[in-house]
Amino acid sequence: MTVCSTAFTTLGRAQAASLGNASLPIAVIPHPFGARSRDEVRAIADKCVDEIARAAGVAVAA
Amino acid sequence: MTDERAALFEAPDDLDAINRLYRAQRWSDGLPVVPPTVERIGRMLEVTQRARHEVVARIAPGFGAATVERIAINAVLAGCDPEYLPLLLAAVEGMAAPEFNLQAIQATTNPVAVWVIVNGPAAGVLGVNSGMNCLGQGAWANATIGRAVRLILQNVGRAWPGEMDRATQGQPGKYTFCCAENETANPWEPLHFERGFARDCSTVTVVGAEGTLNMNTHSKDADELLRIIAETLVHPPSNEYCHGGEPWIMLAPEHADILKGAGLTKRDVKRALWERSRMPARHMSVKDLLRTRESRRAELGEIGPDTLLPIAKRADDIGLMVAGGAGTHSVYIPCFGNSRAVTREVDAGER
Repeated sequence: MTVCSTAFTTLGRAQAASLGNASLPIAVIPHPFGARSRDEVRAIADKCVDEIARAAGVAVAA
Repeated sequence: MTDERAALFEAPDDLDAINRLYRAQRWSDGLPVVPPTVERIGRMLEVTQRARHEVVARIAPGFGAATVERIAINAVLAGCDPEYLPLLLAAVEGMAAPEFNLQAIQATTNPVAVWVIVNGPAAGVLGVNSGMNCLGQGAWANATIGRAVRLILQNVGRAWPGEMDRATQGQPGKYTFCCAENETANPWEPLHFERGFARDCSTVTVVGAEGTLNMNTHSKDADELLRIIAETLVHPPSNEYCHGGEPWIMLAPEHADILKGAGLTKRDVKRALWERSRMPARHMSVKDLLRTRESRRAELGEIGPDTLLPIAKRADDIGLMVAGGAGTHSVYIPCFGNSRAVTREVDAGER
């Protein structure tokens, strides 16, 4: 399970394929990431966490 | 392993058609190539005793197998003379060393090129320019060795621009970036000797380099020269101050003579530059200061706005070499930050 910002998804998918794991689940979050405030990062995390957990095979309460 | 053997393509005996194929397949760097025919590859391989399908290294980020054959193919594409192949084998070994951090160099948004420095007798024998315009055009060895390194990084490492090579702009050095040290004009010990190799052996040093900045000063005073160079290193959006880097200084022979004439060793020069290039952390942006705190806490403890950040973790991490011809121009070559130069001996057993 990998988390990528939109700008790095191409890299993530290509590298996963190169390493023999083309079906690696990749959660995509908006880019840019590094320039965001901590509050903005938390808001993105809140929005994505359930989806990422499901993709990683973790049970999420409805 | 058959999957690591190069594929054979039937192509018309037509340079334009072959270049159209290379252009369509993105097997070139954007410039026309020399067709890697079976005959040309065979001539290239004749200069090495290493097995054709030996895997020299795996090249990040695609981790393709850099076999001797594939290195030779890319050398042909770049226009290399066969005699350059042993240098390329050593460069590939160097780039794959963990401390070089090729994964990051290849996939980063930063403009990182691989700078190849040649030392020892091979530089003279092969005609690698170390003098006037050594980073410019005109020397076949400099141009094609650097180009071959780029083609290997792209075609074997699969770092195609816009795909796994994520450089925001890149830089011209990503086409080719190769020179030799001017050992004749170097008043100190040569780079490869400083890095633990015998003076009479040939080496290749690879550096993750972010570009070149001309430092033109007519100063004839060693102390003033050190101040000018140290102050040039200081710039807030620097990966080196953020992570503790490995800045490289290519001293012009005239500048090196001034420093040597003042009784300074290479180590003295590095120490002086390291001490005098400390930058107050407040010069950085707020976000960059946060990144620096995270990156250098173990080394420097808590970093406040008044902390004086050294450009490198240790003075000895500063790279110092002498190259170029007459003139008052030394060069600052910023490093990627999280990368360390690697030197490998060119196999003396190569024919």
